[in-house]
Amino acid sequence: MNRLDYFVLIATILAIPLYGLWRTRGSASLRQYLKGDASIQWATIGLSVLATQAGPITFLSMPGQAYESGIGFIQNYFGQPLALIVVCAVFVPIYQRLKVYTAYQYLGQRFDRKTQLLGAFLFLVQRGIAGGITIYAPAIVLSALLGWRLNLTIWLAGGLVIIYTVVGGTKIVSITQRYQMIVIMVGMAIAFAIAVYRLSPDLSFQSTLSVAGKMGKLEAVNFSADPHKRYTFWSGLIGGFFLALSYFGADQSQVQRYLAGGSLKESRLGLLFNAAVKVPMQFFILLLGVIVFIFYQFEKPPAYFNQPAYERAAESGYAPQLAALQTQSDDVFIQKRAAIRDVASASLDQRDVATVKLHELEAEARDLRDQTKAVLVRAGVDPKSKESDYVFITFILQQMPHGIVGLLIAVILCATMSATAATLNALGTTTAVDFYRPLIRPDASDHHYVVAAKALTAAWGFFAIAVASFASLVENLIEAGNILGSVFYGSILGLFLAAFFIRRVRGSAVFFAGLIAQALVFILFATTNIGYLWYNFIGCAAVLILAPVLQQTTFRNTEAPAGV
Amino acid sequence: MNTSDHKADATDWRKAYGFALLIFAVEIVFLYLFTLRFS
Repeated sequence: MNRLDYFVLIATILAIPLYGLWRTRGSASLRQYLKGDASIQWATIGLSVLATQAGPITFLSMPGQAYESGIGFIQNYFGQPLALIVVCAVFVPIYQRLKVYTAYQYLGQRFDRKTQLLGAFLFLVQRGIAGGITIYAPAIVLSALLGWRLNLTIWLAGGLVIIYTVVGGTKIVSITQRYQMIVIMVGMAIAFAIAVYRLSPDLSFQSTLSVAGKMGKLEAVNFSADPHKRYTFWSGLIGGFFLALSYFGADQSQVQRYLAGGSLKESRLGLLFNAAVKVPMQFFILLLGVIVFIFYQFEKPPAYFNQPAYERAAESGYAPQLAALQTQSDDVFIQKRAAIRDVASASLDQRDVATVKLHELEAEARDLRDQTKAVLVRAGVDPKSKESDYVFITFILQQMPHGIVGLLIAVILCATMSATAATLNALGTTTAVDFYRPLIRPDASDHHYVVAAKALTAAWGFFAIAVASFASLVENLIEAGNILGSVFYGSILGLFLAAFFIRRVRGSAVFFAGLIAQALVFILFATTNIGYLWYNFIGCAAVLILAPVLQQTTFRNTEAPAGV
Repeated sequence: MNTSDHKADATDWRKAYGFALLIFAVEIVFLYLFTLRFS
């Protein structure tokens, strides 16, 4: 990175919060602070919801994921458009009608205080830790490759977010997310265009896609019913539906985004915008990873994408083994490049033979990378991080022109800031509205609650930074974030679905069903090895089955009918 | 809003959800054809 890159980076990440602070200057009532005075238009809501979900991992890891395994991951998003339609039709009208600040207030009105606190508590635990991971994941990659100090990177992203989120509340989060998302979209479009431009002139774009397809990178839809296959149409549609329904319907970091809408119509249009654009957006991010993969079939890639770790291993006595592997990799790279040209130019009857040869060489290259990784593990450096997380950022730093490098680093930091801001805003709001106001200071002034919400938002910000500072204790961060969400989301969704659809069930029954379901998920998590997406379904199903059973047995005739 | 306004509004939203589903279906068809073409 040179001075131009640093100028673009600093100007981009500072300008947006400063503009947001200017737009939200002046004092705000509690309603304005927590709901953005409900004046926000659907386009801002749509971009805000998109930015909250995207986060830095989407832009750092997704291209690397496609580089490694192809674009099949797109199927994980197939349940989302359907879930968003259900949220628009069922969840949003109820939240808007009851004029709640948090989703969990609805549980309090429909059931009782303890169920409200259970939903809010499960959200706070899960999202509080996830907030730290959101800050840590990009910081560890950027600090490794740019030589920045890890704590400095964590504070750069986290500190700035705390300041503007505390000062401006929900409105500033929505405004900044809108512009951060525009920067992200423009930056990724430029990265896509440059990556395509940098492809080998030997191949047309269509030939490039054909070669990528032959190498198994472009299987976007797989209708297999095999449960052992990781990404299929059915697992994405069904598992993804439950995950998205819980995330958009019951996670305050998203609920707060669309409750900022001026009307039911604005909220719904913002969500339907997401239903339409999410799959195409993920497709282009994954396709960018495939383009980078093809680029590195013609341009020699680094021996290992996490280069600082590779260099540390070489310096600690493993240089001879690494050099031997590098020589073999160089040889396979040259053969593979020739094989790709053969596949692209072969006649139809010869193409299968050429493709088999290419697959053999690809397997050989993969094996050499695994051996390199094994040497790094023996050397005691980078034993747990995924190499694919370093692919896209390495491509940016080595292949993009100056200025664009700064813009793309800004994209990653903007994504970090937008996702973290939404998280802190939701954590502060939930703690203030669901815990502080009813349990500690029930009759204070509006101004008192604004101050309390600000203090609690700041406290959660420092908690997230503390989690980020100690996150190296967690083995695989990106996976940890997904697992964490899945462990808690099922039970939370179950509470809400019981509230909407099982009229006869009341507070105590659903509360204890929620506790038992959460305990069940914890036990399954600790003792079995099932895919984590299933926890969403299991937790939700457990609440929906147990709540009516408990209502009919243990809590029969013990409570008044439900109110809402 | 009176009852007829509510009904008209509900019909409009049903159309909007149908349109969102149609867009989703088109996206899936595109991805399927993309897979057939390049895999």
